Amino acid sequence: MLRIQNLSKTYPSGTQALKNVSFDVRDGEFLVVIGLSGSGKSTLLRCINRLIDPTEGKVYWDEVDITAAPPTKLRHIRRKIGMVFQQFNLVKRSSVITNVLSGRLGYVNPWMSLLGLWPSEERKRALQALERVGIADKASDRADALSGGQQQRVGIARALMQDPKLILADEPVASLDPVLSHSILQYLEQLNKEGITVICSLHFLDLVHRYATRVIALKDGVKVFEGSAQEIDRAKFKEIYGEEAQEVRAASL
Amino acid sequence: MTNETATRRPVVRSGIASALVPGLGQFLRGQRYRGVGILIGFLVMLVTVAWYKDPAWYAVPVLIWLWNVWDSISLARNRVRSVLLPVLIGLTAAYGIGWQVVGIDFSNADMNRAVNAVLRPMLHPDFIQSRREHNQMWVQVQVPCSSEPPKALREDGGKTATVIPDCGPVGETLIVSVSGMWPDTETNVLWRTPIGDPKMVGEGESQMLVVTTDESGSLTTTIRVPSTALVAAPDPTLPQFHRVYFDQYRPIGGYELSFIGNEVLKGALDTVAMALLATGLGMVFAIPISFLAAHNLMGGNPITYSIYVVVRTLLNILRSIESLIIAIVFVKIVGLGPFAGMLAMALHSIAALGKLYSEVIEGIDPGPIEATRATGANWIQTVRYAVIPQIVPPFTAFTIYRWDINVRMATIIGFVGGGGIGFLLIELIITNNMRGVSTVFIAIAVIVMVLDYFSAKVRERLV
Repeated sequence: MLRIQNLSKTYPSGTQALKNVSFDVRDGEFLVVIGLSGSGKSTLLRCINRLIDPTEGKVYWDEVDITAAPPTKLRHIRRKIGMVFQQFNLVKRSSVITNVLSGRLGYVNPWMSLLGLWPSEERKRALQALERVGIADKASDRADALSGGQQQRVGIARALMQDPKLILADEPVASLDPVLSHSILQYLEQLNKEGITVICSLHFLDLVHRYATRVIALKDGVKVFEGSAQEIDRAKFKEIYGEEAQEVRAASL
Repeated sequence: MTNETATRRPVVRSGIASALVPGLGQFLRGQRYRGVGILIGFLVMLVTVAWYKDPAWYAVPVLIWLWNVWDSISLARNRVRSVLLPVLIGLTAAYGIGWQVVGIDFSNADMNRAVNAVLRPMLHPDFIQSRREHNQMWVQVQVPCSSEPPKALREDGGKTATVIPDCGPVGETLIVSVSGMWPDTETNVLWRTPIGDPKMVGEGESQMLVVTTDESGSLTTTIRVPSTALVAAPDPTLPQFHRVYFDQYRPIGGYELSFIGNEVLKGALDTVAMALLATGLGMVFAIPISFLAAHNLMGGNPITYSIYVVVRTLLNILRSIESLIIAIVFVKIVGLGPFAGMLAMALHSIAALGKLYSEVIEGIDPGPIEATRATGANWIQTVRYAVIPQIVPPFTAFTIYRWDINVRMATIIGFVGGGGIGFLLIELIITNNMRGVSTVFIAIAVIVMVLDYFSAKVRERLV
């Protein structure tokens, strides 16, 4: 159970990215966050694992206050929260397996990891993670040698290494060819079915309908909608995205 | 009629304006840049030509002026002329003046000398020589005579050398003979003073006397006691023993490095090592400095930003001073030798690498850092897994590239006493050893090409 209470974030530049946002996420949900670019989706997700420190408000996870956690405690919380990014955020010059192994940094002996030494069971775990996303054969390739879809799958494998209870996915398919959207989201759906809570920001209405168990919508940092995916229809969508918004359909596969 | 004058009047007015002040007509027609450009071009040409005081060149501003009037009239008729013509006229003038200044004059060059003393030896680089064995014999002669000179005869291992008479003053003719040498072999006959100074006894005392032995291995020839035999003697009236040497060489198959070849190889290694040391030193200092010169790290608050500005400015100033000049300054400080050259290169490398490294740091992708932090990694793990993989390959690539540059630089810095192959080169040029010079040229070309190739390959893999 994740509880977001009165979360606000004001950047030093004065931009108010989040304004008093509150909602709950029950374990096992596939929560989709929608909203225009700049509506605060990325800030919201990053406030949950405190990549960005919120200005005000609290985030409780299983009754532990993440926002008040001291550094070591925070790192222990973070390793249970996997994160998938729009730009994949892989180290392009490192190999795929190294990128995946880096997901395990919160668990292993820090000194060994600094020397680049990984226990064999961690290597095995990394290969299994890559197998789950279907690219075990690319393990020793350089990350930037992979296609966009494959890189995002490496990103998911890295999150899997954390043995996460929660996955934050920040527009995981926005940088991909629309036809690849489903192939990536199906992995997240699969993980969700295995009991991992997923919070995912998305843009396409039909993807929202297909994957979300619940939806919240942000507009200018304010939560403007919370409810089931079915409640979001064209009219609601226009309301959230503004009158000029034209819905673009992701190619249905 | 009225219509015609109405269209003609502005045309004439434009032409006159441009005739009075070049570009004015165009300027008044609204073509301001064109007008100003023509005026500046015309004035520059005029001043240049006036400066060089060659009346023929006055044709150039006149031509530009004529073109300008024509252009102005065309413009008034709404036709824009190409500026190619005046630009070509200007360039012709510039090249002509350049020709005069440089004084291109091949009549001065002595072609015979160029071919015989420079080009021909350069076609025979002195790097390897055939392996030879050496056969030597010598005999002592007293100069000047004492009251009882010893016999000028020496026997050694079946070889016998004699001089008749046994002694003599400077300029005395001596009959020297040797037997038991290799038969039918060219033999160098050389005089050595008591301190070992060689004196040629051939034509005009400036050439080696070469005599071929007969079939029994003997030779007899006449020499004069060299006129300079006693110049270094403390007391020329004191009889002392000089020596006459007989040297024979014959090939025994195979090749070996010649003396110059050895020196060149050593110089080349010195240069590469010196450049490596300078690059290493540059790298060690450049890494911490580069962090101070990275905008994304230092831009945050006014204090760090002012450090950034100071460091950047210092780097830029250092980088703009040629390392050759820095080397000359260091020669004054630490004295002549490779150390000064190495310091100069290291200093220049710090500036150049510092700038390049800081640009790498500025171009770092924040995404992986964010992703690694999100996994629960601590700060140092984040640096190890998200920052270092991003900066090490470009750092290495830039460092190797810098080494490549430093090797080239080291050859030049050698000229001012920086050691290595450059210093060898300047020595060889001064002593007019053109075969050696050509060997050094080849060595430099080979080093630079090999290094260039490998550094390109390595960089290709890293970046």
